[in-house]
Amino acid sequence: MILLTKRVEFCAAHRYANPRWTEEENRRVFGKCVNEHGHNYVLEVTVQGEPSPETGMVMDLKALKDIITEAVVDRFDHKHLNQDVPYFKEKIPTPENLAVVIWELLEPRLETCALHRIRLYEDGTFFVDYYGQRGPQG
Amino acid sequence: MANADPRAREVPAAGRGREAPVVEATRVYQFSAAHRLHNPRFGPAENARIYGRCNNPNGHGHTYRLQVTIRGPVSPDTGWVEDAQRLDLLVRERVLARFDRSSLDDLIAPTDGPTSTTEVVAGLLWRLLDGGLPAGRLHRLRLEETPNNFFELERGGVDR
Repeated sequence: MILLTKRVEFCAAHRYANPRWTEEENRRVFGKCVNEHGHNYVLEVTVQGEPSPETGMVMDLKALKDIITEAVVDRFDHKHLNQDVPYFKEKIPTPENLAVVIWELLEPRLETCALHRIRLYEDGTFFVDYYGQRGPQG
Repeated sequence: MANADPRAREVPAAGRGREAPVVEATRVYQFSAAHRLHNPRFGPAENARIYGRCNNPNGHGHTYRLQVTIRGPVSPDTGWVEDAQRLDLLVRERVLARFDRSSLDDLIAPTDGPTSTTEVVAGLLWRLLDGGLPAGRLHRLRLEETPNNFFELERGGVDR
């Protein structure tokens, strides 16, 4: 089994607020993140599979990049996550929730190999990993 | 607000009506500290042979880079992994406040290990953080002595 990772970047704005909480409570929990701001996200998509005996590849990196671009980058890049993505009308656009939705977007589009991990960097000091519902050993 | 991109409507309702997804969240910190590798049980020649340049009697130092990973369900209230806020506070109080601009040899107890190798320091940091979090929340700790040398501890072993 080989793990193959494609790295892409996208830039987006967001703010954190729980609609069930008061402004004061949101500010206490989320601090400055209540204000509109943005990040240069770095997304690492890792797929797993055996190299094809014909091509020596687990998956064509260009094909993987095209899928990620269509499903994720075009949808989130230079967008306001709270306002432009309906999913984040209900959920707070944290890296955790972004990673889960990115998994849900990519997983059904991969036909030749399995999605292993979504790693999303918000910046150089914070990143999240999501291995799907089944977890890393699934 | 009107949405110009029709594909935005295709975003799935991930996690809705199911158990909260389990995510690993990693925060990266750094601290600067001095140390000297030296095991008092050995003589000077033996220490010099084992630890080489790291045995310099005057010590040396590193800018350590620390990655701390917690693993848990995503809170429906905050969208963060449970206890993410506590982690930041914990690392500042238990690690950065003590270890940044410190001499590691003063902070290592004999029960932590024979000397302040990064393996021993990583083990100490794991115990300091694990003890301040709910059981099982701390998932991985990676301590980089330099960009070229780093050490990792993971709950349940590194069998991934």
